[in-house]
Amino acid sequence: MDPAEVEFLAEKETVKIIPNFSLDRIYLIGGDLGPFNPGLPVDVPVWLALNLKQRQKCRIVPPEWMDVEKLEEMRDLERKEDAFTPVPSPYYMELTKLLLNHASDNIPKADEIRTLVKDIWDTRIAKLRLSADSFISQQEAHAKLDNLTLMEINTIRAFLLDSLNSMYKLRSNLQPGSSKGQFMDF
Amino acid sequence: MFCEKAMELIRELHRMNDGQLPAFNEDGLRQVLQEMESLYEQNQADVNEAKGEGRADLIPSIKLRHCCLLRNQRCLVAYLYDRLLRIRALRWEYGSVLPPNIRFHMCSEELQWFSQYKKSLASFMRSLGAGEGLDITQDMKPPKSLYIQVRCLKDHGELEIDDGTVILLKKNSQHFLPRWKCEQLIRQGVLEHVVS
Amino acid sequence: MDTQSYLPVQPGVGMEENFLSLDDILLSHERLPTRTECAFPRLGFLEKSSDTQDIPEGTKMELPLWLSKGLYEKKRRVLSVELPKVYREGWRTVFTADPNVVDLHKMGPYYYGLGSQMLHFDSPENPEIAQALLQTFIGRFRRIMDSSQNAYNEDTSALVERLDGLEKALFRSGQSGLNGFQSWEKGEASTLTASSLVLNYRKRKITDVQP
Repeated sequence: MDPAEVEFLAEKETVKIIPNFSLDRIYLIGGDLGPFNPGLPVDVPVWLALNLKQRQKCRIVPPEWMDVEKLEEMRDLERKEDAFTPVPSPYYMELTKLLLNHASDNIPKADEIRTLVKDIWDTRIAKLRLSADSFISQQEAHAKLDNLTLMEINTIRAFLLDSLNSMYKLRSNLQPGSSKGQFMDF
Repeated sequence: MFCEKAMELIRELHRMNDGQLPAFNEDGLRQVLQEMESLYEQNQADVNEAKGEGRADLIPSIKLRHCCLLRNQRCLVAYLYDRLLRIRALRWEYGSVLPPNIRFHMCSEELQWFSQYKKSLASFMRSLGAGEGLDITQDMKPPKSLYIQVRCLKDHGELEIDDGTVILLKKNSQHFLPRWKCEQLIRQGVLEHVVS
Repeated sequence: MDTQSYLPVQPGVGMEENFLSLDDILLSHERLPTRTECAFPRLGFLEKSSDTQDIPEGTKMELPLWLSKGLYEKKRRVLSVELPKVYREGWRTVFTADPNVVDLHKMGPYYYGLGSQMLHFDSPENPEIAQALLQTFIGRFRRIMDSSQNAYNEDTSALVERLDGLEKALFRSGQSGLNGFQSWEKGEASTLTASSLVLNYRKRKITDVQP
């Protein structure tokens, strides 16, 4: 998967905005939106929020977890635990990037948040590699991917799948004849 | 050793591992087929002798030549098949009209295959979306906006957009155009996507 | 476009080759030390050192893997195949001691592929060979993963030069994951770019003109 596609999926998450215009409810295949009233918070998908924000039609209310104190707690927990801790949103990385790039004026301490989220990401990716290595060295056959997000899996997917595939083939060498292939004259 | 010519064909493709299409090696192909013909004839003669005169000692040599025949066959099929994969990719990277220097590298059967692939892809795309049609070679990445800013990298002549306006694509000129009109031209290196 | 539309046929890796894979065809062209166990009449010209009409029994020749595989029979000995050095016990001990110090490119470049193919020939050492291949792969995995996932925007030729063909392919898929993510993070993922195939064609045209 291309990261751009993962980001596209993240844009379907909802976020609260405070519009500065009024508009009746609109009915779309993906769900109804609105109604929009100036000053009244309303939930909309991220793609719409960013579009409105770019045209200066709204203010974006950052998600609750996008907060320095909460993120610091998460970072410390992530560093302490061996396993992956639950993340505040399955798209925490994508949302951080999207919202900070387009609406940093609506998010208090934007720079600190950016650094914290990056720290959490780095810690998790290091864990991911560590577990991939022990997965291979112990020749495991299955793994739980609890609490991993799509973007995280996506960075290592091709590599890990190709590696597992090669390892599987090399392991089937240990029992010749067990694989379906018979001797073939190429 | 036998089958060296066939290996040359394979190496030729393998060297260009980015998907470029080298010139169709008609001569190489002919030489492999010639070798196969002579292998076959020698085997035919030895088989007759082995049967007629009970010369079982010829069998190992017959088998060796037979292996070489199969090897040559494998190399040829793989050569042609890999070229088709490359030609198919050209449709996605360049669009339906190929530059002459690339067409020049294809044999007539390959040109024919390309045009048939082009046609089946087109009729598939026309059939999508309840008769409306859908260009599946567009929007390879999720689009962020309908219009994008582009810069011309070379003189390309005129381009007509949806509303009938004609735009002159002159080197170094900048335009704000519908994304779907530009995507292919960007892929071909005519336009450059300008991100502010 | 960094996603290539040309997807070549992948090699089979294990004991089975992929018929149409260019990599496997090259792999099966690797030469093996063999000894004929019967005479091959009228093929003497294949053996350059002699000018007899036949290849006599007991001739030592280097034959490509594909031919050795094709001629080899368990019941009727036509050919015996010797194990290349890297798969013999001496080297196997070196590999198991520290797989990371070996230059698999020099030893290979199809260390895993050829090793797996050697299992087609009945040898009492087969289980040990298979085991050595697997352990070498596992032992080198971490280094390949780390280098492919850390090397961003740098010259990777030093990192890959000691890798076998299979490992190089893994390294590349690790790099594509990393590069994809990094360019997304920098905000380049949504930029439309020229096809790398088109660009390479253009480069080649220029070098064609300047010999």
